[in-house]
Amino acid sequence: MSGCELFLRTAAAAARSCRALVAFTASHRALRTSPPSRAFAKELFLGKIEKKEVFPFPEVGQEELNEINQFVAPVEKFFTEEVDSQKIDREGKIPHETLEKLKSLGLFGMQVPEEYGGLGLSNTMYARLGEIISLDASIAVTLAAHQAIGLKGIILAGSEAQKAKYLPKLASGEHIAAFCLTEPASGSDAASIQTRATLSEDKKHYVLNGSKVWITNGARANIFTVFAKTSIVDSDNSVKDKITAFIVERDFGGVTNGKPEDKLGIRGSDTCEVHFENTRVPVENVLGEVGGGFKVAMNILNSGRFSMGSAVAGMLKKLIEMTTEYACVRKQFNRSLSEFGLIQEKFALMAQKAYVMESMAYLTAGMLDQPGFPDCSIEAAMVKVFSSEGAWQCVSEALQVFGGSGYMKDCPLERILRDTRILLIFEGTNEILRMYIALTGLQHAGRILTARINELKRGNVTTIMETVGQRLRDSLGRTVDLGLTGKLGAVHPTVADSANKLEENVYYFGRTVETLLLRFGKTIVEEQMVLKRVANILINLYGMTAVLSRASRSIRVGLRNHDHEVLLANMFCTEAYYQNLFSLSQLDKYAPENLDEQIKKVSQQILEKRAYICAHPLDRTS
Amino acid sequence: MSWAQASLLARGLCRGWGGICGAALTGAPFSQVPPQAPRGLHCSTAAHHSDSSLVPRPPEPPRRPAKALALHEELFRQAPDGARDKASFVQAVQKFGQHNVHRRGHVDFIYLALRKMREYGVERDLAVYNLLLDVFPKEVFRPRSVLHSIFIHYPRQQECGIAVLEQMENHGVMPNKETEFLLLQIFGRKSYPMLKFVRMKLWFSRFKNINPFPVPRDLPQDPVELARLGLRHMEPDLSARVTIYQMPSSKDLTGVADPTEPHIVGIQSPDQQAALARHNPARPIFVEGPFSLWLRDKCVYYHILRADLLPPEEREVEETPEEWNLYYPMQLDLDYGRSGWDDYEFDIDEVEEGPVFAICMAGAHDQATLAKWIQGLQETNPALAEIPVVFRLAGSTGELLAPSSGLEEPSPPPPEGQEDEEDSQQQRQQQGQS
Repeated sequence: MSGCELFLRTAAAAARSCRALVAFTASHRALRTSPPSRAFAKELFLGKIEKKEVFPFPEVGQEELNEINQFVAPVEKFFTEEVDSQKIDREGKIPHETLEKLKSLGLFGMQVPEEYGGLGLSNTMYARLGEIISLDASIAVTLAAHQAIGLKGIILAGSEAQKAKYLPKLASGEHIAAFCLTEPASGSDAASIQTRATLSEDKKHYVLNGSKVWITNGARANIFTVFAKTSIVDSDNSVKDKITAFIVERDFGGVTNGKPEDKLGIRGSDTCEVHFENTRVPVENVLGEVGGGFKVAMNILNSGRFSMGSAVAGMLKKLIEMTTEYACVRKQFNRSLSEFGLIQEKFALMAQKAYVMESMAYLTAGMLDQPGFPDCSIEAAMVKVFSSEGAWQCVSEALQVFGGSGYMKDCPLERILRDTRILLIFEGTNEILRMYIALTGLQHAGRILTARINELKRGNVTTIMETVGQRLRDSLGRTVDLGLTGKLGAVHPTVADSANKLEENVYYFGRTVETLLLRFGKTIVEEQMVLKRVANILINLYGMTAVLSRASRSIRVGLRNHDHEVLLANMFCTEAYYQNLFSLSQLDKYAPENLDEQIKKVSQQILEKRAYICAHPLDRTS
Repeated sequence: MSWAQASLLARGLCRGWGGICGAALTGAPFSQVPPQAPRGLHCSTAAHHSDSSLVPRPPEPPRRPAKALALHEELFRQAPDGARDKASFVQAVQKFGQHNVHRRGHVDFIYLALRKMREYGVERDLAVYNLLLDVFPKEVFRPRSVLHSIFIHYPRQQECGIAVLEQMENHGVMPNKETEFLLLQIFGRKSYPMLKFVRMKLWFSRFKNINPFPVPRDLPQDPVELARLGLRHMEPDLSARVTIYQMPSSKDLTGVADPTEPHIVGIQSPDQQAALARHNPARPIFVEGPFSLWLRDKCVYYHILRADLLPPEEREVEETPEEWNLYYPMQLDLDYGRSGWDDYEFDIDEVEEGPVFAICMAGAHDQATLAKWIQGLQETNPALAEIPVVFRLAGSTGELLAPSSGLEEPSPPPPEGQEDEEDSQQQRQQQGQS
C-alpha cells in the first residue's frame, strides 16, 4: 500500500518536473497519461498547501503569447467596432452577419483539436479569448452553449468516428451544437429525467421521445447532445433505467422547437424548448457507453466552468473604463464624482474583484493545461462562484455610480446588469456548486482522516492526547508556518504578511474540517449551512493563493504597476482573512456568531404558513 | 330525584360552566370539550360558587324582589314594534335613566339587562356595556378613606360592576378607555371592578392570539362552506385541494338539505395522492368515521380514508439512486456518522400510524353517501379502482359520537349551540322536575 503510494508520489514528482518543459512550450494540451497530480483545493481541506501546484503563477511562453495576441487583436476589434450589443438586446437576436463573422474568425471551434479543423486552443488561451467574447453576453452565451457544453461531449467522450464525422462542421460553425439535459421536472435531479430512448427491434436505432426545456441554441442547432433514459440489463439480469447520451442530428426527424423564451437578460441568445418525437437515432450515435450518460454529463458540466472567471474579468475591465469616465466627468457641487470617498470605494471594489477573479481563472487554466488531465473541477467551481457573485456585485455598484441615469434603458449598465444575473444561475447554481465544492473536499479529507477519526472515536489514548495537545498549542496562539514565506519562499516578501494570513487560515481550516468530520461524519451532507461556510472559506483561500502567487510573480518579473497589484492582493487577503476567521468561528460548536438554529426556525415557521407571519405593526389586540 | 334526573342536572351545570370558560378564552381548546356525564356528577353548584367568591353570580331570579323586577321587565317590553335590536335595548336603558332620576334599583336593572343582552343580540357590543356601566351613579361608591377600601365599599354595587365585566369577558369583549374612565368615576382606582378591569386588560391581550389554529368568530351557515373550513382546519398541507363531490340538491333557507342528496366535500393533498398511487392494491383501505370536530360551538363530522401500517417486512427501503444528482454527491462514502455530542434527536417513542389518504365531510354518514365520495376520488386517483375499500362506520369512536345510547343512529344530530348558563340550567331543572 505505502509502496504503491510512494510510487505514485515519485511518478507525480517526475510528471511535475517534465511539466515545466511541456506545459509552457506546447500550446496544446498534452495527451499523455500520467498519474493524476494532487489537487490543490483538496489538500487545503487537510490544512496543507500544495505549493507546487500554485507557485509560481503559470506562465505562457513568449511564442504562445505572441500567438495569442495576434489572435486576440482582430477579435477585439470586431467586438468593439461591429457588435452592437444594445441592438442585439433590443431585437432579441444576433444578426446573421455577426454570426457569420464569428464563424470566419474561428470562434466556433476554439477548443476543437486542430486535426478536426478547430483552433485547438489551450485552456489558458481559451480563457484569454473569453475575456473579449464576454463583451457581449448574448454572443458569449451562444458560443459557450455551442462549444463549452454543446460539442464538449464529442471531444470528451466521442469515438474517433464520431469526432471525424461531427467536429469539423461544428468547428467551422456550419453546424451549431446544443446541450439538452434540463427537463421540466429535472434540473439537477438526473433520476427524474423523462425523455426515453428505446432500442428498436432490429437493434440498429434508438427511438427518442421527450421534451427538453431552456435549451440555448435550441432553434439554431443542428447537432444536439441529448440525455435520455434507457433500459439496461444489469449483470444480475435486473432491468434498470440508466441515462445515456446521444448525438442527435436535426435531420433524424421528429425534432421540433417551442417558441423562443422571453428572458430577463441575454436576450439575444436563442433559448427554447426542444421536443423529440420518435426521433430515430442510430446506435453508433451513442456518446460514450450505453448507460454511461451520467458520467458524460458530469464531465461536460465540470469542464466548462473555469472560463467564467476570465470572461467576467474582461467584462469588469470594460465596465471600470466606462464608469471611471462618467465619474470623472460628472460634476456635483463643483466637484467631480471621483472626488467623493464613497464613489472611490466602489472602484477599489471593482478593481479588487476583477484582479482576484482574473488571477483565479488563469491559475486554474494553467493547472488544467498541465499534462495528465488534472482534476480541477473544485477549482473551476470556485472560480465560477466567485466570479459570478463578483460580477453581480460590481455591476450593481457601477450602476450606483451612474445613479438615476444608470437605471434608464439608454445606459448600457442596465443591460449589463440584466445579463449578469444569469451567471449566478446557469452552469449549476451557486448554491449547488457550493455544495459540490464543500462535499467533494470533505469526501477527500474524510477518507484520509478515517483511521485517525476512528481511533479518536474508539478512544485511543495516544491519539486523544495528541489531539488535545495540538488543540492546546493552537489555542495558546502558535505561529503557523507552511513554508510560503522566508528565504527563497514561494511568496515575495512584499506580500509576506498576507501569506502568513493565508497560512494561518489554511491551518485552522484543516483543524476545523477535522472537527466537523468528527462531529458530523457522513451526515454532514444534511448540514447545508455548515457546508456553505466551508465552501466560502475555501473560495477565499483559493482566491488568496491566486493573488499571492500572481502578485509575487509580477514583482519578481517586474511587470508594470506591480505595486498596484500588491495593494489589491494585500487588500483582498486581509478582507478574506477576517471573513474566514468569522466563518471559522461560526463553525465552532456553540458559537454565539452562529445563528443557524434561529434561521432554521424562522424559515420553518414561514414555510409552514407560506407567508410572512408577523402581525402588522399597526394591528391592535383590542 | 332519580339518578337520571341528577345526571341531567349536573350535566347542564357542567355545560354552562364550559360555556363560560369557552367564552372567556375565545377559541381555547377546552371550549370544545363535549359534555360528559361522569364529570358532571362530581361538580355541584356550590362548588362553582365557592371557588369564585370574588365574582359572585348574579342573585338567582327567585330571590329578587318580584315587584322591582317586574317593573324593569316592563322597560324591555315597551319596544314599539317588538323589535329586539341594539336600538331598542339602548332605548330601554335610557328610559330607565329618565323614569328613575335617583337611579333607584339600578343594580337589579343592570342584572336584568345583562341577562337580556343575548336576546337583543348585543352581547358582544362594547358600547352597550359602557352604557350599562353608565347607569351607575357616579362618585357615590368611591372609597373616601383607607378604611373604605379595606372593607369593601358598597359590596353589592361592586359585585354588580364585576358582573358586567365578567359578562364582557365571557363574550370576549375587550374593555376600552371609556370603560376605564367610567369605572374610575363610579368605583375609583382602588376597587374590585377596577382590579378586574386591569386583569382583563392584561390577559385578554395575551390570550387573544394564543390559538395557533384560529377559527373565525362567525362561522359560515352554509354546510358546504362550513365543511370546507373544517377540512382546511384539519389539513396541514397548504397545497391540498378541496373538492366538492356533491352539492346538496335542495337548499332552503334553514340550510337543511334533502337527505337523499347530501353534500360531500373532500380534501386531498398531492402527497396523499402520490401515497395512494403507490399503495399496494392487495391491501384494503378503510373508510372510517364519523369523527367529530368542534368549530367554536358547532360540531361537524368527518370521515377518513386510511390504510393500515405496512408490516415491517413489506416496507420498501428507500435507497438513494446511485446516479442522482448531476452536480454534487448526495452522500459521502465514509464509514463514520454523527457523533453523540451532535445528535440532538430526543429519544422519543413514536407510534407509527397508517397513512391517511383523504378526508371528507358529508351531510349524511351512511355507506351510500360515502361510496359516492370514493367514486369521486377515483377520478383523480385512478389507482383507487383496484384497491378494495372497506367501510367501517361508527365503529371505533362510539364515545365521541353518541353521548348516551344512540349507537344505532350513525349520525347524531349536532348539538345545539351552547346556551346561556342560566337558561340552560333552568331548562334542565325544569326537565328534571317534570
